[in-house]
Order: sequence, then structure tokens, then C-alpha cells
Amino acid sequence: MNSTNPQLPAPTERTVLVALAGQPNVGKSTVFNLLTGLNQHVGNWPGKTVERKEGQFSYNGTTYRLVDLPGTYSLTANSAEEVIAREFIIREQPNVVVAMVDAAILERSLYLLAEMVTLPAPLIVALNMIDVARQEGIEIEPEVLQAALGVPVVPMVATRNVGIRELLETIDGVVNGRIPCTPKAPQIRADHQKVLDEIKTLIDGCVPPPYPPDWVALKLLEGDEEVTRMMRQCLSEAQWQAVQHVLRAHDDALVAVAGGRYEWIGRMIRAAVTHPRPGQIGLTERLDRWATHPAWGLLILAGILGLTFLLTYALGAPLQTLLDRAVVGALADAVRAALAGAPAWLAGLLADGVIGGAGAMLTFVPILVIFFAVLGILEDVGYLSRAAYVMDGVMHLMGLHGRSFLPLFLGFGCNVPAVLGTRVIDSRRARLLTILLAPLVPCTARMTVIAFLAPAFFGRAATLVSWGLILLALLILALAGALINRLLFKGQRAAFIMELPLYHIPNGRTIGLLVWQRTISFLVKALTVILPVSVVVWALATLPGGGTEQSYLAQLGRWLEPVGRLMGLDWRLVVALLTSFIAKENSIATLGVLFGAGDETGLAATLAATYPAATGLAFLVVQMLFVPCVATVAAVRQETRSWGWTAFSVGFLLFVSLSAGTAAYWLARLGGIA
Amino acid sequence: MLNELLALLQAGGVHRVDDLARELDTTPGLVELMLEELARLGYLEPLTQPCSAACEGCAMSGLCAAGTGSRGWAVRNREQGDKETGR
Repeated sequence: MNSTNPQLPAPTERTVLVALAGQPNVGKSTVFNLLTGLNQHVGNWPGKTVERKEGQFSYNGTTYRLVDLPGTYSLTANSAEEVIAREFIIREQPNVVVAMVDAAILERSLYLLAEMVTLPAPLIVALNMIDVARQEGIEIEPEVLQAALGVPVVPMVATRNVGIRELLETIDGVVNGRIPCTPKAPQIRADHQKVLDEIKTLIDGCVPPPYPPDWVALKLLEGDEEVTRMMRQCLSEAQWQAVQHVLRAHDDALVAVAGGRYEWIGRMIRAAVTHPRPGQIGLTERLDRWATHPAWGLLILAGILGLTFLLTYALGAPLQTLLDRAVVGALADAVRAALAGAPAWLAGLLADGVIGGAGAMLTFVPILVIFFAVLGILEDVGYLSRAAYVMDGVMHLMGLHGRSFLPLFLGFGCNVPAVLGTRVIDSRRARLLTILLAPLVPCTARMTVIAFLAPAFFGRAATLVSWGLILLALLILALAGALINRLLFKGQRAAFIMELPLYHIPNGRTIGLLVWQRTISFLVKALTVILPVSVVVWALATLPGGGTEQSYLAQLGRWLEPVGRLMGLDWRLVVALLTSFIAKENSIATLGVLFGAGDETGLAATLAATYPAATGLAFLVVQMLFVPCVATVAAVRQETRSWGWTAFSVGFLLFVSLSAGTAAYWLARLGGIA
Repeated sequence: MLNELLALLQAGGVHRVDDLARELDTTPGLVELMLEELARLGYLEPLTQPCSAACEGCAMSGLCAAGTGSRGWAVRNREQGDKETGR
């Protein structure tokens, strides 16, 4: 690209042709209407369905014909509007082009300008919406911008008729040569200047007038379809082949041309724009120096995570115990008393199946509400985005930055979208492996179960155990991720742009709404999924009669118990794990059914009294890494389209979870955690 | 500047527009514009984020990529980029 220095064509018959160019919604129509009033007509551009607006106005005894060019973002032949705008400027050679620019989004507006300054028409920049820019803290110095661009700049607020007179004076001044117009055009990246010169030499003398040869050479380099078609007809076969040879040898020319324009925009912005930083941004930046620091950020995240669990357990666990004893237990007793004369199975179904199973889940609501509220506060304050940012950094450090990154990251919410998210991976092999790993990400439902059972098994040490379980899951995931990245994503990179909101005081209403929605969502799940499963579990634990120990469920549990014994689990815990296949929370409901509602000590205390800590730890480790819920397995089947791979996924996760559970159990015993 | 941005993204990982702007000594607005340009030229391939009804009730939605307004791109090599733009 070279600097253009257009000669001013003299106005003919005292009528001056002015073109109004710019992006859509930049205020062109407002200026057009202000200048032409009722003296305008609307039609279509020849052969196009694009609207053409033209009008007239007089100023200082001169008549001006004003043409409103279609709104465009660039002058590359990407659309009919862009072709019309540039063809008009090149072929009709207006006496002056007024480029409307939105001061509030100056960078975007300057891209079009970077293309316009290479065209052979005198240019005026109408810097519109300076009031909006100022409101957004953007201060533009028009004089400095004018000096940097080399063309007159007129600040305006068209909607308030501010700057219109100055614009008219400037048009008059440019047309009559009083105001200089020597645009400083972008330069192509230095390493491609020779290539551009080479093309210029090859097409020299063949470019049909009035097309500027320099502009045509640049557009050829950019691969502009219209210009390429035109020059194909103007060049001999030998010349065309020579041009093609140069273009093929420099296939990165597009970036070099565009890069030159962005350098130019960057220079203009640096010269003329200041973005004052309000105090709030300063505070956010100060806090982020710690919160997003690669090392401190991780420590802060670990601390906040620990504090979240601590608060949840400290406030929620006593409430849960109270609800379990005073409400669920009392309700089960009341139902049994009320149904004293009814068939025993009915009292059992309602007291043990419904209240024992789903009731156990309902006692969990206080813990959930506190957990959701703490997360809601962290989210509303703006911290959770930072947590995600810091976690990204860790995953990146461990080599997990291939395309598998995004789907695995989605898994923290729910494993189902994580499996569906693997669609972004091209390679079938890589996609398959990522699908197999996705269920290892600790999802919300698994965290919920941990939040209930950790204090039941570990009391005051629950925070430390929960923290360790999440760390374990992430460690296994990171190791697996690093492995697939090495094996399958050699050299491939995925980059993420993350928006981090400003820190602000949390809004009670927002958090309340968040907690309400999530609690309701949990209750709906409890009623539609967990309750029916509880009833089925109760039926299997009751039939054929003779007590739980002789039930079908006990028989199934005992059949599987040898595997459970490896990690200290009895048949009840094995069955609880099995029912988590329907939904993770069913583990709790099943334990509620099996240990019976109405127990005065409550489920948590019963569990703590029944099982040693090593068994509890093994159960939680298996729960964290176990086969995912049925919805995730269905997603795996859908995405792999193979029952074989689905079965392999289930088998793989069984192996990982049971191995880790066994290891945790024996390590805990060796470590003296009985 | 476009090349420098591409080089930063080629390293992979997570970036903030503000940080990229600082490193390139420019404004976040221009970084946004260049990201769009690189995607248009085929050098960046947007990674679509699947949306699931499960996210609505998810307590961790604020912690995952879908809830933080993050945008992901795979950085493609030059041949892939040129193929996209028909060069």
C-alpha cells in the first residue's frame, strides 16, 4: 500500500458531487436528511436491490449533489453494498467523500477508513457521536486525529445538529482547495512490500482506467474476487500466470495486508484517543493482581473453596441433622402411627420408601441452599470467572490445551454437555478419548453428594476431605488430559478469550433468585427422579418379605459385595453406588431407605457410627470417579454411536473408580485412619 | 500487530482481551476487531459451545466456560486458514 495524494477534480457546472460513506448505523441518514431536507429521492442502484438515496443542497452559492452510499464495514468485494460503494468512488470520482465515523467504536470505523484512504478521492472524516464516546470515557482529540490521518476531521453530534455547519465549511474548503487533504495510507507489512511492487510491475499498463493501479495490485494480493476477475480479462495468459505464481508463493499476503491496516488503526488510536480509567476498574485491576496471579490465584482459589465447604458444613450440617431428626423422623413416625391399621406394606412404602428416601434428600436442602448462596455470592461479586481463569491456567500448564479442553471444562457443570461438547473435535480418535475422559470431571451432582456425605463420615475434617477429593479428581483428569494431549493433539492449540467482569458489591435479590432457581431445580429432580428410584429401592429392599437382610436388593448387594469388600464397602454401600447410576443423588436416598427414616440419631450420625472412616473415604473416592449418571451414558452412546464404546466407557470408569477406591481404603488403613 | 496477536494465541491457553491489548499496546476494541479478522481469514476456528438445559439449574454454571462468557478458538495452521478463504 502506498500513500495517495489525490488531485482535486474541479467542480463542473457549479455542481459538486459529494459521497456520504460509512458503516451502517453510524448516523449517515441523519446527516443526509439534515443536509438535503425534502430535496431528496430514493431509488435503487442500477441492477441491484440496494437502496440508493440522492439529494441536493446549496451552500455558499454552490449546489451540492449528495449521494448516500450503502453502509459497509470494508471495501472488499464481500457484498453488493461494498462493491457499490467502492465502484462509485472509483468510477464517479466524487469531488469529496465524507466518511462518517462512530467515535464510540472508533477502531471499527477506522477499518473502513483504512481502505478509503487508498482510493483516489478527497476525504473528510465526520467524527460523529462524540457525546456517546465521552459518556463511555473515550476522549478523542480531533486535531491530533486530523494530523495523524492527513485529512480534515469534523467532530459532530448529528442527532443534535452539532457540527453540521462545520462539516459544510470543511466540504467547501476541501472542494475549493483551501483545506489540504493528504491522506496517510496504511503500509503493507514490510516483508511483503517487495511482493506488492512485483505485482505492480507485472500489471503495469494493463489496469483499465479509472482504477488506480496501486489499489488494484493491493486487491489482487488480497484475493479480491471482483478485481481478480477484472484483471484476468485484462492480462495476457503469460502475465496472468506470472501474477498467479507470485500470489501462490506468498499465501500469507492476506494477513500482511490486513496487518498493515491494523498497524495503521493502532497508530491512529494511540495518537488521538485516551481511555481514562474510572476508579472501579482500578480496584478490579488491583484485586486481580492477586486473584488471577498464576501462584497466588491458585492459593486464593483453594482457600475460597475450602471456606465455601467450611461455611456450608458449619451452618448447614446442624440444620440438616435437626431436620432429619425433628421433621423426617417425626413425619415417618406419624405416618406409621396413622397407618397402624393399614397393610404393613403401605406404611413401609410411605415411611421408609418415600419419606426415608426422598425425605433424606429434603433434609439436604439447607446444605444446598448455603452452598448455592456462597457460590451465588462468589459469582455475583465477579470471583467465579477468576476461578475459571486460574483453573484454565493450571490445565494449560499440565498440557491440557488441545480441543479437548473446552468440553472437559464444561463438565464441571454437568457431564452431559461435556460429552456433547466433544463435537468441536475433528479427529474421531481424539473425540472418542475425550468422551471417555469427560465423566471424570467432578460435576455438580457429584459435588452435592460429597457435600452431604463428607460431614457424615468425617465430621470436622469434612472440609479437608472435600478439598482433597476435588484435588484428586482434578489430578486424575489433568494427568489423563496431558496424556491425550501428548498422544493426539500434537502441536494443536486452542486459545480462549475470557471476559472477566468488574468486581462489585453482591446484590441480595440476584443471589436470592439464583438460590431459589437452583433449589427448585434440585427439588424437581428429587421428586421426578430420586423419589421413583427410592420407591423401587424400597420395594427391592422389602420383597419378598422377611426383612431387609433377606430382600432381593440384599441378594444383589451380597452378590457384588466381594468387590466392595476390597475397599471396605458392605452390600448397602455397593447398592447405594449402583443406584447413583440413575442420578448421583440417589446414593443418599438409597442410604436413607436402607437405614430407615425415623431413626432418632439421623442418617448422617447412623452412617458415621456404622462405617469406619477408611470405608467412608473409599466410598467418597469411588463416588467421585464412578460411572456417570444414565443421562451422561446416553450422551456417550449418542455421540460414539457405538454400544461397544459405551460399554468400554462404563468399564473404564468402573476400573478407575474401583482401583482408586481400593487404593484410598488401604492407604487410609495403613495411615491409621480406621 | 495481527501477526503478533496470532502468535500470542498460538501459544494456547486463556487470555483476557485487556491483557492482549496491553501486550500489543493497543485498545481492547482493536483486539476484538483483529480476532474477528483472524476468524474471517480462517486462522482461528470458533469452537462452538454446546448449550444444555442442564446448565440452567447448575450451581457451577458460573464456574464453567459456558457461564463466564468465554469464547474459544482453535488456532489453525496457515494451510488450513488459506483453504478456508479459498486461497
